Amino acid sequence: MNDNVIYMKDIEKSYKMGKNKLTVLKGISLEIKKGEFVAVLGPSGSGKSTLMNIIGCIDVADSGEYILSGQNIKAKNEDELAYIRNKEIGFIFQKFNLLSKYTAEHNVAFPLLLRGMNKREAHQKARKVLENVGLGDRINHKPLELSGGQQQRVSIARALIGEPNILLADEPTGALDTKTGAEILNMFVELNKQGNTIVMITHDLEVAKHAGRIINVVDGEILDR
Amino acid sequence: MSLGEILRSIFINIRENKTKVFLTTLGIIVGSLTIVLVMAIGNGSQASVEEQFKRLNVGTLYIMPAFGRKKASLKLGIDDMEAIAEEVASISKVSMVINGNANINFYGKSTSSFVTGVMADYNGINNLELEYGEFISEDHSNERFAVIGYELAKLLFEDEEISNPVGEKIIINGKRFEIIGVLKYLGNSERGFNPDEGVFIPYEVAQRYITGKNPGPMIMTLAKDINHIDSAIDEITTVLQKRYGDKSDQFMIRDAGSSLESARNSARTMTLMLLSVATVVLIVGGIGIMNVLFVSVKERTKEIGILKAIGARRKDILRIFLLEAIIISAIGGILGIILSMAAMPILNYFNVRAINTMFGYLLAFGFSVLIGTFFGYYPAAKAASLRPIDALNYE
Repeated sequence: MNDNVIYMKDIEKSYKMGKNKLTVLKGISLEIKKGEFVAVLGPSGSGKSTLMNIIGCIDVADSGEYILSGQNIKAKNEDELAYIRNKEIGFIFQKFNLLSKYTAEHNVAFPLLLRGMNKREAHQKARKVLENVGLGDRINHKPLELSGGQQQRVSIARALIGEPNILLADEPTGALDTKTGAEILNMFVELNKQGNTIVMITHDLEVAKHAGRIINVVDGEILDR
Repeated sequence: MSLGEILRSIFINIRENKTKVFLTTLGIIVGSLTIVLVMAIGNGSQASVEEQFKRLNVGTLYIMPAFGRKKASLKLGIDDMEAIAEEVASISKVSMVINGNANINFYGKSTSSFVTGVMADYNGINNLELEYGEFISEDHSNERFAVIGYELAKLLFEDEEISNPVGEKIIINGKRFEIIGVLKYLGNSERGFNPDEGVFIPYEVAQRYITGKNPGPMIMTLAKDINHIDSAIDEITTVLQKRYGDKSDQFMIRDAGSSLESARNSARTMTLMLLSVATVVLIVGGIGIMNVLFVSVKERTKEIGILKAIGARRKDILRIFLLEAIIISAIGGILGIILSMAAMPILNYFNVRAINTMFGYLLAFGFSVLIGTFFGYYPAAKAASLRPIDALNYE
């Protein structure tokens, strides 16, 4: 259990919809080990996005236990969670979520700048990571001047720069055409080979197949196979 | 996140939203401009008051026919003055004063001027300084001597290339007078006329030649010092009552100190009133900032969500938005100050006396920043307290 990056036990989450309580996660338990590439597969409305938000510490569970890299998330306040998101997690979103006013380099450097690293060092590192994802010639472009695939690479670079324990990808190919999507997925496989732990949320079995392990989520529960 | 990085992202944001930022700033610019101008105009009017009174002794007292309710039938005379000089211990100098208009001629030149009949002590009471010659003295009481103001001297003698007119003869209401002195340039004065354009002649002579519908003579006197003003007034009242009984209420006593004080007060009141208007303008500007910031927080909700997802703390977000508000209002404050400097010549053109001071600048700048901070805090706190999940999912 010591090599678990993620340990979840009986995680529950519900939302109020007017008078009704909508239970989205009904007792999720899972373990993800260091170096794994896991796909969380489920149709829309299955609760997989909520699960991803909880894994990513941008939302908190109502009950249950969640231990991320040995830290009990329940006991953390908002600023501690911000610190954990910065250190432990690299987010990759379906719609990239880049900051449109900033250049690719500035976007990638941001997690380090938030840590208080000085500008020169952070930008130097950002350029290196952008080169690694094949965007060495696009560092001064703003997101809207880049193609979808390039934007997703910038967002992968942003996720990688802080050397997090987990890369957390939410439908990373959802906004891309098939060819570009395949390139991104191959990149994930490659990153996993280099030792990165990857959790990828998707509704697409073909996409999920790239992962080493698939966790099926249906109606807020994990389907045992 | 370091302060430098926060500032960098603020400037990137301002650069990307120039028009909006300018419109936000407008309220602050106007507010800051108003504060500087109000302070400047207030200073100007206070300076005018000080200047008007600067040659006046605060202890100066006037005894004059009461105007208004009753038609004064009694006139003050030299015997009254002598009684006051003798019986009132709290005064040091005393002079009869009579005013009138007269035609002044010097060769071809003719002008109408204000002529004042005075005694030797008048100079001591009013601190008049002479450019040339001497002032009217006790020996002159029956001489046709005249001391003329600086501007009048210029008007009459400049073309004749006479720089020192002492000894020249001028015609006042048909009578020849010898000029024995010229006053130094004074500028504005509170005395109700401008001594620069006036003529002073011995009182007894003036009584004879300068008559008109002017109020009767008055007595001007000087209390020994400021602490003796009240006792001087009391003693003079007593003297007048002894001499005129019930009819002594046909005279009134005024003191210069209280008119100086009231002029100062009204200048100060005006400044305060204008200042409160400026404050209202700034507060309205502040509300404008708050509005725009709220809209900005809403527009940038997604950005806030992204920043939070990659690890920005509440503190970081709060600083970004609050500092942005402060910087915007500081820029507005400075622009207002610059505009106020540009407005000075316009004010001067319209003869509004205004004096810019460092204090006015600092007040305007300080107030602008204060308003920005105050009204920027709430939207900034709101942005900082957004839940990352809500902010991120905001479309």
